[in-house]
Amino acid sequence: MALSDIELIHQAKQGNENAFEQLVYRYDRTVLSITLKYTGSTDDAKDLYQEIFIRAYRGINNFQLRSEFSTWLYRIAVNVCLSYKSRSKQYLKVSINEEDDDTDFTKNASEQLVYEGLSPEEAAAGNDLAEIVDAALETLSPRQKITFVLKHYEGYKIREIAKMLNCKEGTVKKYLFEAIKNLRKKLSGIYALQN
Amino acid sequence: MQHNEYKKLIQLSFYGELSSKEQDDLNDHLKSCTECRQELENQNNLLALLSENKSAKVNDEILSSARYQLRGALRMEKDKLSNVNEFFRKLAEIFSTPARLAFSFATVMLIGILIGSLFFGKKSVTEIITTNGNSDITELSDDYVTIGNLSFIDSDPSDGEVEFTFEAVKQVYIKGKVIDPKIQSILTYSMLNESNPGSRLNSINAMYTEQPLSFDRDVKDAIITVVMTDENPGIRREALKLMKRIPYDEEIKQAYLFVLTSDSSSGLRIAALNALIEGSKKGNRFSDSELNLLKQNSNQDDNNYIKFKTKTILQEYN
Repeated sequence: MALSDIELIHQAKQGNENAFEQLVYRYDRTVLSITLKYTGSTDDAKDLYQEIFIRAYRGINNFQLRSEFSTWLYRIAVNVCLSYKSRSKQYLKVSINEEDDDTDFTKNASEQLVYEGLSPEEAAAGNDLAEIVDAALETLSPRQKITFVLKHYEGYKIREIAKMLNCKEGTVKKYLFEAIKNLRKKLSGIYALQN
Repeated sequence: MQHNEYKKLIQLSFYGELSSKEQDDLNDHLKSCTECRQELENQNNLLALLSENKSAKVNDEILSSARYQLRGALRMEKDKLSNVNEFFRKLAEIFSTPARLAFSFATVMLIGILIGSLFFGKKSVTEIITTNGNSDITELSDDYVTIGNLSFIDSDPSDGEVEFTFEAVKQVYIKGKVIDPKIQSILTYSMLNESNPGSRLNSINAMYTEQPLSFDRDVKDAIITVVMTDENPGIRREALKLMKRIPYDEEIKQAYLFVLTSDSSSGLRIAALNALIEGSKKGNRFSDSELNLLKQNSNQDDNNYIKFKTKTILQEYN
């Protein structure tokens, strides 16, 4: 019979590497899915995946079982994603305090890749749709983006995302509304074409 | 409720985040509000567009490749932690053995002097020697003591005395057989921790002997770690050569696979691939996940030899 997370955690804390590996295999598909959708790059997603589990490995001895292992792990995943910046493999330090999300990441070069001002035909003619959507996602702030990924692509409930982001449900809703508003604005050309 | 409020409800409705009362309110409103119905349609189209551009499931090949790289990274992490733990263990050993009480006492005194000198602003002095003019300080030139950083406190000889400090580093001379575990332990420490690449390289080469060697757990781990992590490709190459002396097993196979899929040097990747082929011929067959990894690597590697050889292996397995 398969061991529970708690039993595996106890064994991992005692240095049993197989136990830690089993814990990894229970959740790593989800973690990789989040990082893939967050970064839009296989290489960067694998880097973040690795960073997340290395942090979990270092921190497992301090894990107090006050929450589910998955919640703890996904909080690490969210924090690692929030510190990710771009495909150039540079990382930003971003505060995990919910009120500190003033950084305006929409003023970067990737904004130029979004087809806000182009006609639908122009936008569709020269570019793959997936790339355009990725570029639009790139223009969101880290918190808007991780909230959108967790909600839209991973299907987590708002209360679960609030736990992962360590903020109130209302704040998660705010990030989600802003994300959708920005995406709508950035994709207006393509979006019109689809209709 | 204002339109803007209903627009927010429309977004939450898409994700099933409304209570039944909120959903009923929204439905009632939609029946009578053209603008909100349009908003609902626009939003559903937008979110559908965003959904169709991301595959729902993680590709198994990417997952197995990520897991593989994670195993390597965890191994490195484990080695780092074990080195730190070993340091503290040895420190504890020194202070816990009664026979070494004197040494412990001297060390505590030395630490006290250092701390004291920090607080009182004096330069750190490890030993104070005063002479009366007749003493023989020959002990300083024996035992391979290296003297350096000589600094005068009083260089004026007018009163017949001078005062100065210097640093004396005592070398330890060891001669022994490579198969001696103590020798191996020191060389292992050096290949992992020496900052000078030449010293790391010499430590590896010193273990490369024609005599049959038995590699214990720590030595084997250290060699694998150097193969996988040393920043210097020349050192990784020598460590790889040394690793070939270790009996081929699952761990060694995983290390070769790591080099094949991750090392920046094509020469090392080829050496790893050849070692894997040799191992395979001796009966250490690849698992399905390893074959998938090889397949993925053959598509990604920019070296034609590796592509060709890997495809040959894969054909043999089919």
